[in-house]
Amino acid sequence: MIHFDNVTKVYVNQNRPALDHISVDVDKGEFVFLVGPSGSGKSTFLRLVLKEERPNSGAIHVAGKDLSKLSNFKVPHLRRRIGCVFQDFRLLPNKNVYENVAFALEVIGKPRRFIRKVVPEVIELVGLEGKAHRMPDELSGGEQQRVAMARAFVNRPMILLADEPTGNIDPATSIGIMKVLDRINRTGTTVLMATHDAAIVDSMRKRVVELEDGKIVRDQSRGVYGQAY
Amino acid sequence: MRANFIFSEVWIGLRRNLTMTIAVIVTVAVGMALLGIGLMINSQVSSMTSYWSDKVELSVYLCKENSPFEPCTDKKGISEEQKTALEAVIKGMPQVEDVIFEDSATAYKNFLDNQSNNVFASFLKVEDMPESFRVKLGDPDQSQAVTEELTGQAGVSNIVNQRQLLDSYFGFMDKLQWMALSVAFAMVFAATLLIGNTVRLSAFNRRRETGIMRLVGASNVYIQLPFVLEGVIAGLIGGVLAAVMLITSKVLIFDSIQNFIPEALGWNTVAGIISGTMAIGVIICILASFITLRRYLRV
Repeated sequence: MIHFDNVTKVYVNQNRPALDHISVDVDKGEFVFLVGPSGSGKSTFLRLVLKEERPNSGAIHVAGKDLSKLSNFKVPHLRRRIGCVFQDFRLLPNKNVYENVAFALEVIGKPRRFIRKVVPEVIELVGLEGKAHRMPDELSGGEQQRVAMARAFVNRPMILLADEPTGNIDPATSIGIMKVLDRINRTGTTVLMATHDAAIVDSMRKRVVELEDGKIVRDQSRGVYGQAY
Repeated sequence: MRANFIFSEVWIGLRRNLTMTIAVIVTVAVGMALLGIGLMINSQVSSMTSYWSDKVELSVYLCKENSPFEPCTDKKGISEEQKTALEAVIKGMPQVEDVIFEDSATAYKNFLDNQSNNVFASFLKVEDMPESFRVKLGDPDQSQAVTEELTGQAGVSNIVNQRQLLDSYFGFMDKLQWMALSVAFAMVFAATLLIGNTVRLSAFNRRRETGIMRLVGASNVYIQLPFVLEGVIAGLIGGVLAAVMLITSKVLIFDSIQNFIPEALGWNTVAGIISGTMAIGVIICILASFITLRRYLRV
């Protein structure tokens, strides 16, 4: 599903590469934690998957497509197959829960009938039934992140990228968020989650890829956060 | 669905940037109106030029007895032989299309027909009127050369070139036209910058939305179209206002001078100019929007 082959990314005006000859394979339906300290290259990894950045060398395949051969014109179609969740939720403050989720479908031109059918389903999936007409500022942080997850998942992507989704949320609420991610993973969606949260990684017992200074220092199935290698 | 969504985005954009939108509308309106007026003067001048080109002729006046003009030094007037010779010379010139001889009686009659001042007319006798050759040229621009060639021919008292009388008028119209066009050019330039700025503000105001649209895979067209449409709508409203100004100026200015000039500006021409300026306004808006979006809206 995601295939990095000897990928190096150096940002302009930086000597040290953000990613240094990285090779990773993520299969369909996997749940992978991407861990490591700040600046270790986690976000760069996610941005490369989205083709927001281009690698300096190496090949990236996402959902069977070679990103270097993907024309700019087709990048939006790639992104339709990838859902994204962020630490800061990125909801539209002037739209309610339903509208925020529906927005993701409206802007890719889905018909209204389809939207009316799938949006309530996915709102229920993330556990926000009955709150469809709340505005984002009437929701708790955990609930806002659920909205963001609903928006990321509503188009049934093949891959869900989560960049520190629990970073702004207290540990108790984080468990609920992880349950939703797990539920999404069980539908067959590949989940790639960058995080600092040791407790969550330890409790989930999923594959862990650890980055440090742009290199992979650990790739372990059923791993924990801080385990020595 | 799609159209609904895009138009609601456009509406939100226009409303949020109301002051900038109004500035764009006014600039486009004034710019396009001036451009249109320039074009109207231009078409007026060219239609009048072609009208007058058909009519313009040289009047070659001949010496009479005691004629006061400088070349008629012998005070005897032109002889019949000289007259025939002169006519042959004129007819022999390649630029000349037609020559009519106007004798004193005809000149007197024409004078009376055109003259409202009866007191003045009562002084004049047929014998006072000069004889002349009315020379019609194939190409009116050659009048200067012909005049120079005929000056100094025996029996020619003076030559009146009607074109010189019209030139000062055309010159004035020409200046007016260029003034309107250069102000129009400046306004179009200002409008382009204003539209660019408006689109930039708009893109900044909606960076959250466009960021999410990018993320969920909205196509570039979907992301950019609302911004471009904002420009187009502002341009169209400006164009409509410009059209109103042009119609008003046609009715108030061009129709009022119609009494003095033979070739009036037709509604067909005005309609053509209006649609032309509107198209230019909208195209400028689209271009300005696109160029700005490429810089400020990374897709």
